[in-house]
Amino acid sequence: MLSVKGLKATVEGKEILRGLDLEVGHGEIHAIMGPNGSGKSTFAHVLSGREGYEVTGGSALFEGEELLDLEPEERARKGLFLAFQYPVELPGVNNTYFLKSALNAIRTSRGEPELDAVSFMRLMREKLKVLHLDDSLLKRPVNFGFSGGEKKRNEIFQMALLEPKLAILDETDSGLDIDALRIVADGVNALRSPERSMIVVTHYQRLLDYIEPDYVHVLAKGRIIRSGGKELALELEEKGYGWIAGEEAA
Amino acid sequence: MSGPASNLGALERWLEGGAERLPGSGLDWLEAERSQALARVRAEGVPSARQEGWRYTGLKTLVEQPFVRYAEPVTGVEEEDLEEVLVPGLDAHRVVLVNGRFVAGLSSLGALPAGVRAGSLREILESDPDAVADRLTKVAGDGAHVFSALNTAGMDDGFVLLVGRGALVERPIELIHLSVGMDEPRVAQPRHLVALEEGAQASLIERYVSLGESLYCTNSVLELSLGRAAVLRHQRIQLESVNAFHITGVYLSQGADSRYLGVNIGLGAAWARTDLVVRFAGPHAECDLKGLYLAGDKQVMDHHLDIDHGVPQCSSRETFKGVLYGKGRAVFDGRIHVAVDAQKTDAQLSNKNLLLSRNAEIDTKPQLEIHADDVKCSHGTTVGQIDPQMLFYLRSRGISAPLARRMLCLGFAGEIIEALGPEPLREYVTEVVGRRLETAPLE
Repeated sequence: MLSVKGLKATVEGKEILRGLDLEVGHGEIHAIMGPNGSGKSTFAHVLSGREGYEVTGGSALFEGEELLDLEPEERARKGLFLAFQYPVELPGVNNTYFLKSALNAIRTSRGEPELDAVSFMRLMREKLKVLHLDDSLLKRPVNFGFSGGEKKRNEIFQMALLEPKLAILDETDSGLDIDALRIVADGVNALRSPERSMIVVTHYQRLLDYIEPDYVHVLAKGRIIRSGGKELALELEEKGYGWIAGEEAA
Repeated sequence: MSGPASNLGALERWLEGGAERLPGSGLDWLEAERSQALARVRAEGVPSARQEGWRYTGLKTLVEQPFVRYAEPVTGVEEEDLEEVLVPGLDAHRVVLVNGRFVAGLSSLGALPAGVRAGSLREILESDPDAVADRLTKVAGDGAHVFSALNTAGMDDGFVLLVGRGALVERPIELIHLSVGMDEPRVAQPRHLVALEEGAQASLIERYVSLGESLYCTNSVLELSLGRAAVLRHQRIQLESVNAFHITGVYLSQGADSRYLGVNIGLGAAWARTDLVVRFAGPHAECDLKGLYLAGDKQVMDHHLDIDHGVPQCSSRETFKGVLYGKGRAVFDGRIHVAVDAQKTDAQLSNKNLLLSRNAEIDTKPQLEIHADDVKCSHGTTVGQIDPQMLFYLRSRGISAPLARRMLCLGFAGEIIEALGPEPLREYVTEVVGRRLETAPLE
């Protein structure tokens, strides 16, 4: 589904990604772990097309098509979804209107008809329930005045609604208490399917107790330096990042 | 009407043309007002850029236009033509003026409650001038700017609404000022008067629209007089032709305990100047004035607020927002004056602007002049751009950049648009504003 080869990117002239390789197959969940500053979030942002990053080398093929040439909205319409580490507040932008615009943009690009108001509301109610979110959220401006937990749940709620092929969860666990984490993880797990892949970017192993990955990769200094099964996460938790970084240096 | 030693230059022609006499000729008081106004405009002439109130506006383009007065009423606008400019689903008592003149055939006032009169200024001046004698030209007074004086000299029709003591008009009253292009560029100088007696309530929707994109000028004056505890909701939507010039002076006098809820939406015209002048005549009156303006390529949007707290214990809120794009230009000049006896005044003025392009320009100038010592007054202005993080967030959900910008701008303007009502009017404005923003050039 996703094939990243030799990806290099700079931020303000500073090289952050230095030849990153990653293969994600259909239905797989990949965890990317790494210390602060290793390039985890940069990787997520570069894939989703955020401004401010310059890709200086490599490629990222998504279903055989070069992602890096596409505008952010085109990537989203092809089935890419980024759950933000810091969801952006949009004062004055009604959540329902936002969700409807997003869903219809994606449906239209797939050649599907726009949803009528009744079917749309039904779909939203159904997805809200999964994330234990209240109806009132729909009437509020997007993320505006939401608690940290509500923002993260709203991200997963959007993911449930938009049904991407590949979801990137950027530190979705950060700032969540254990109850909120469980709700978010349940929401994510409900979306697991043989057609949907996920990249879970996290600093801590904790999230992976709830969202069980098929593969774990360790990112350091802009490259994946180690890959393994889910047991790699446990090993990391036990020995710390210094363990691998040390091994690298040796 | 060619007088000696006039400083009016090309604007002199605004008063020429047409054999038709002005309404109310022969009424001493009105003749006196007219000749006084005429003497004033001829003496003062076109304001210069050295005058503070005109520093940023630039009258050159206006003065260069060879506008002449409409010689006679325009006939031939049909019901179908009107359809094009109606707000879908809006239920209202409707009054239609075409090029400044009342057209009975297009108006549908319907049944008005007892104690309410609505109709043409020309008709009232001919049939019952006493009904307007104590207010017409008096509300605007001598402080009115020179274009309003020009309107006084040249007014030949307009809309009058008189709501008697305690009367309540439930349905909104919609005033549609429709402009239709003529072979020669023309100027219309409609004069409107709305007077609510003690305890009266009404809702006025004032709209300026056009058929086609012709060049013309509207120089309107609206005098609003609110008696004790009267309540007026006033929504003004300026959607003139893209090539038009629009000048308006709104003069509001508020009695004790009265409430005024105003929303001003400035969208159209190549060049638009709006003056909103508020005078408090009695304590405990409230004035809530909101505004939204859009200025795109080749557009100048100029708003001047002059809020005079001359008596104690009144409150005013002035909340104006602007979205500028392309090479659009806007001016916001908001002045609040609190007199020495106007204790317990509560006045807050805010002007926020969103610039979508580097070539757009805003001059914003809030002024508080406070002479009383026990008051609550504040002002604030901001000029900003669309937050790229917000834009990216929307795009990352599949929403195109133009739609994302539209959503964010409407979000910014939401506070003002939300104040519009009833629903069909709000939807109409949202749609017009949204469409403009989605196609707005960013350079």
